[in-house]
Amino acid sequence: MDPECARLLPALCAVLADPRQPVADDTCLEKLLDWFKAVTEAGSSLLLLQEHPCLVELLFHALRAQDLSPRTLSFALRLAGVFAAQENCFQHLQQGELLPGLFGEPGPLGAAAWVAPSVRSGWIQGLRSLAQHPSALRFLANSGAVDTIFSLQGDPSLFVASAAGQLLVHILDLAMREPAEGRVCPQAWDWPVCARKIVCHLEDCLRSDAAPRVTQALHVLTTTFGHCHGLWTQGLWVQLSPLVACLLEKDPMPAPHTLVDLLLSVARSSVPSSDPGLWETVAQTLTRLSPTQAGPLAAGILKLQDCPQALRIQAFNVLLQPLACVLEAAAQAPATPGLLEGAAGDPMAVDTLPPSKSACVGLLCSALAHLELLQPLPQRPSPWPQAPLLAATVTILRFCNGSAAPSSEAGGRLCTMLVGCVRVQRAALDFLGVLSQGLGPQELVTQVFAVLLEYLMSPDSSPMVLKKAFQATLRWLLSSAMPPGCCDLEPCAQLVLGELLAMLQKRLCSPCWEVRDSGLEFLTQVTRHWGGQASFRQVLLASELPELTRQLLQDPESYVRASAVAAVGQLSSWGLLAAPSSPEQPAIPQETPLEALLLILTTDSEGFPRRAVMRVFTEWLRDGHAEVAEDPERFVAEVLRAAGKDGDWEVRVQGLELALVFLERLLGPRGSSAVAPPSVTARAMRALCQVQLFEFAFRSLFDCDRPVAQKSCDLLLFLRATATPPGSPQEAGDRPNVASVEAALRRWRAGEQGQPLGELAPEAILAVLRSMDLEALRDTLAKSSDHVERSPQSLLQDMLATVGVLGDNEADCY
Amino acid sequence: MPEIRVTPLGAGQDVGRSCILVSIAGKNVMLDCGMHMGFSDDRRFPDFSYITRSGRLTDFLDCVIISHFHLDHCGALPYFSEMVGYDGPIYMTQPTQAICPILLEDYRKIAVDKKGEANFFTSQMIKDCMKKVVAVHLHQTVQVDDELEIKAYYAGHVLGAAMFQIKVGSESVVYTGDYNMTPDRHLGAAWIDKCRPNLLITESTYATTIRDSKRCRERDFLKKVHETVERGGKVLIPVFALGRAQELCILLETFWERMDLKAPIYFSTGLTEKANHYYKLFIPWTNQKIRKTFVQRNMFEFKHIKAFDRAFADSPGPMVIMPGYCVQGTVGHKILSGQRKLEMEGRQVLEVKMQVEYMSFSAHADAKGIMQLVGQAEPENVLLVHGEAKKMEFLKQKIEQEFRVSCYMPANGETVTLPTSPSIPVGISLGLLKREMAQGLLPDAKKPRLLHGTLIMKDSNFRLVSSEQALKELGLAEHQLRFTCRVHLHDTRKEQEMAMRVYSHLKSVLKDHCVQHLPDGSVTVESILVQAAAHSEDPGTKVLLVSWTYQDEELGSYLTSLLKKGLPQAS
Repeated sequence: MDPECARLLPALCAVLADPRQPVADDTCLEKLLDWFKAVTEAGSSLLLLQEHPCLVELLFHALRAQDLSPRTLSFALRLAGVFAAQENCFQHLQQGELLPGLFGEPGPLGAAAWVAPSVRSGWIQGLRSLAQHPSALRFLANSGAVDTIFSLQGDPSLFVASAAGQLLVHILDLAMREPAEGRVCPQAWDWPVCARKIVCHLEDCLRSDAAPRVTQALHVLTTTFGHCHGLWTQGLWVQLSPLVACLLEKDPMPAPHTLVDLLLSVARSSVPSSDPGLWETVAQTLTRLSPTQAGPLAAGILKLQDCPQALRIQAFNVLLQPLACVLEAAAQAPATPGLLEGAAGDPMAVDTLPPSKSACVGLLCSALAHLELLQPLPQRPSPWPQAPLLAATVTILRFCNGSAAPSSEAGGRLCTMLVGCVRVQRAALDFLGVLSQGLGPQELVTQVFAVLLEYLMSPDSSPMVLKKAFQATLRWLLSSAMPPGCCDLEPCAQLVLGELLAMLQKRLCSPCWEVRDSGLEFLTQVTRHWGGQASFRQVLLASELPELTRQLLQDPESYVRASAVAAVGQLSSWGLLAAPSSPEQPAIPQETPLEALLLILTTDSEGFPRRAVMRVFTEWLRDGHAEVAEDPERFVAEVLRAAGKDGDWEVRVQGLELALVFLERLLGPRGSSAVAPPSVTARAMRALCQVQLFEFAFRSLFDCDRPVAQKSCDLLLFLRATATPPGSPQEAGDRPNVASVEAALRRWRAGEQGQPLGELAPEAILAVLRSMDLEALRDTLAKSSDHVERSPQSLLQDMLATVGVLGDNEADCY
Repeated sequence: MPEIRVTPLGAGQDVGRSCILVSIAGKNVMLDCGMHMGFSDDRRFPDFSYITRSGRLTDFLDCVIISHFHLDHCGALPYFSEMVGYDGPIYMTQPTQAICPILLEDYRKIAVDKKGEANFFTSQMIKDCMKKVVAVHLHQTVQVDDELEIKAYYAGHVLGAAMFQIKVGSESVVYTGDYNMTPDRHLGAAWIDKCRPNLLITESTYATTIRDSKRCRERDFLKKVHETVERGGKVLIPVFALGRAQELCILLETFWERMDLKAPIYFSTGLTEKANHYYKLFIPWTNQKIRKTFVQRNMFEFKHIKAFDRAFADSPGPMVIMPGYCVQGTVGHKILSGQRKLEMEGRQVLEVKMQVEYMSFSAHADAKGIMQLVGQAEPENVLLVHGEAKKMEFLKQKIEQEFRVSCYMPANGETVTLPTSPSIPVGISLGLLKREMAQGLLPDAKKPRLLHGTLIMKDSNFRLVSSEQALKELGLAEHQLRFTCRVHLHDTRKEQEMAMRVYSHLKSVLKDHCVQHLPDGSVTVESILVQAAAHSEDPGTKVLLVSWTYQDEELGSYLTSLLKKGLPQAS
């Protein structure tokens, strides 16, 4: 602890102990506790208490005082726990009878303050902190604290109840950790008293008819099997599994969600290796749960690395069943291949979906979401029924947009339930996008594109649905490249692309900014991938898309302008923005894309489009855009000049990124650790001086926004490492004049604007670079700008300073 | 048992990080998704793990509603939607939708730029989050799905702030967000109709305060500014709450014009400037005065107030700082708490020579305003959030006493459960309705009347149909229920003779009814059947078996009592 904090501590403790001095807000106490945690983690708590007796006095005061505010009492309880986490300090506090007082009957437990949830929470957190060693365990067993924790499991506060459950798990783990060392799975009668007590309590709860008690026990067990990895957990399961099995057989099953969580937690632990019967229990549970309840269990089983194949098939069928129902409901001659047909020996009949709309929608959405998460996993079921899944998803989407005409009664009912249902549309489009990772029969792929087009064209599609439809379409287009990764598209995708672009034209004129934005994002992506492909170019150039995109640079919505900038950047990179010209109608001279984007950079009132311009420019410079390549130095100079004046720190950071790309073009890539030959360095330095990169970089070094200064520091460090290798002697007799540069640096450091540097000699720059302690600057910049205000010393000062003025300045934030 | 459940994850007995979960008729709604400005770690956002425990967020939550753009109500939104993974709809008013990203960007700038935080939400995430927003108009009923609907009401407080009514069937909850019951210089007062919700969730920042006259506060403020300027000093007003900046700008602008002052006024070029653009745009959301005059002059087009540029900064002079509330860990907090020496970066120490004043201009309803709103909405229950526990306790008692309704004030993580009696919609068959109409009575909502029919529950729907239709639909045969009664009469004559006497007696008494003597010896009166039989043990006693249907219960009872009196002697 630094001396200033040590000096302020007694006064602070006195303030905290005084009920007439309310503490500014609970964040101060939280931060104070954070600081004490850090201090005790770094050194001896006992020593701390001995050096600062005011702390023990504060704790004693908390024990005795009747009128302490709940938040201060809660703080004292947690603080005591932090100190008592170290065994010698625990014993010290124990001798003083402080701990039994604070955490036993004489303390807040029996006082009126106990009604405040913050006090109960503080009591639990205090115990959680101190429960770290055998002495603490004995204390917990003898003080009756464990019984209080049992009762707090049913606390009206979610936070307190949950913390109580977690504390029980922690105590159980701590108790079992000691004797289990070197021994395998001790029997229940061998368990320590504390552990036996907790397990007995859990058994009682599991036998109880009161649903909340059952749920509490299940939560504790789920956390135990999820977090504790000792072999004793196997013994625990042997002990408790018959009770869990009884719960699973009850009708109706109590707390089915929590039981599912427990079974999955056990299945992920080391238990299955010792109890193969677990799989039988899981399989039976799958059949007993309703389809909605069984979904999470089935998905969890399929994510397990190791489990019996029969169970995997059963679980997969649970997830597939709702989709199979959809297929069956939509079945028309010739019948679509069913989803569950391949499951040999599967006794499950294709049942109907739930009759109520909300249940049916919920079941479909969760099945689609589970399958979406499962698809990319290596342990996903194999064979993966790609074709029927595609068919089912397309069918669902058709039911949702009303384009399906089911002949069966079940199909009609389903159609009525799903039509216009945005929730199902979103889930189905997400899943459809993921399905693009697999192949499908040509006929189905055609249907996929057809349904996606229907959604993209439909005036009924909500902006969110459209966004998802765009994303799914892009994924399908990418997967249709032949061979993968190549520019050529399959003929069907090729055909769709034309229609897509025609649709896009309309979408870019939508009155809804979200739609225009999603459209532009889509255009940027498709151009990035197929901008070089002849047929795409032809369709695109024949459309009004390039012109529309240009116009959207003036969109009233800044997000859209930014997306238009990205789209223009991409179109221009592929030469797709040139105004069409013909002998009869010569092209009207238009500003070039570079000019248009520069105008945005210098005039747009919003930061978002300007940042987008900088990203495009950086990409153009990196990839050698034609317009940039004409005169890269002039381009860089112009962009840096604009970026340097920009009020948005991210534009300035982007400016430095562009400068870095320029530097790499001249000196080679970063990280190569190669020092550039002198001739290259000289040429590079001349170019850098010419584009006034140093003016920009040095000013940025003292920028009031830290990321800018940090980026500049990185840039200059790279330059110094490449251009002036360490130990390289400065050429004798040729000392450059660095005075003007150093004077400017001093001015900028002091926050003054000052005059520009003007013409600079490369040698002077190098000399300044050598003399600067950039490493030290980098370390300083790594601290946050409010590190002084956030320091413990500042916190203590603030807490002391608010004494007496609090009443006037009430917390009326906003 | 149907119930409404409310669990605050934030704003439960505290101010900051508003986030309240409401379950109503099986629908789950999150009200606000705010951040706590006092923390820079995980604690700044609500602990969403309590929701994710219930399965996938998007499956669990039906929608998120944001009451207004202040960060303690929307600051966690991009984190929640783009990092925690909520993919469902987010509802807010149009001005909130427009201004929210500006504040979120600013918050990101502070976190990433000033505090150097990694893993913070990005600008792209803010945009993607805003694309999930569905804008709502005032008083427009928006269907979230077939059952859940929401409606926004004007809340004052800041531009675009709204109170929301959440309704499923006949059950409803109103959430006020932050509101102001007194109009200010640019906004009107909050208003809600007598919607009588099951529950009103109201903010209670000023639960115990009756605020002094706003005029006095404004006069004090202007006096202090004017005096300092007259002395040649400068006034710095770091107003971090967007909306208050605009209010003070209008106040200063009007004063400058009235007093013909020349001293320049500047506002910072960041947030306020950007937000001003939207204030000029959303004039319909302002108060009547601004709406009336905006054609001649938009009040947000300031004449005297210009955008600030760093170049304007010159030699230091006397200064008065009047910030709003400042959280610990900021220079503002230090100055406000009266610290006169401030340590800056690089161990540099600055002396505070200026005069410091604290003046609250926050636009929350005071205790009187809260009571007024409760009176307006007439809720069945009230729940207090966004306030301090002690003050809430006072207001709770006051509300319970005055309105005779239950008032709750859960802490964060505590759940309040309210039982409700939902009304279940029942469809009526056309046939039954026509039959009722044929009786000549037109349906009248104000005059409920009895209607006989059979209630059928099929496919989760309830329908009231005629009993004949019910039998037909359910494929059931009709059974008749008959009441039977035995009447013992002392008579030695034979059964046939006895029956004949009964017939004659009834025929003479019941002249308006159809009395028949059937060939089998029994007598009928409408549906009532009377049969005579000999007593098994006493030949001198005859037993009359009387039976009737439930429709003729009245007549049946009358007839039985008549027969019990005995038959007249034969003449």
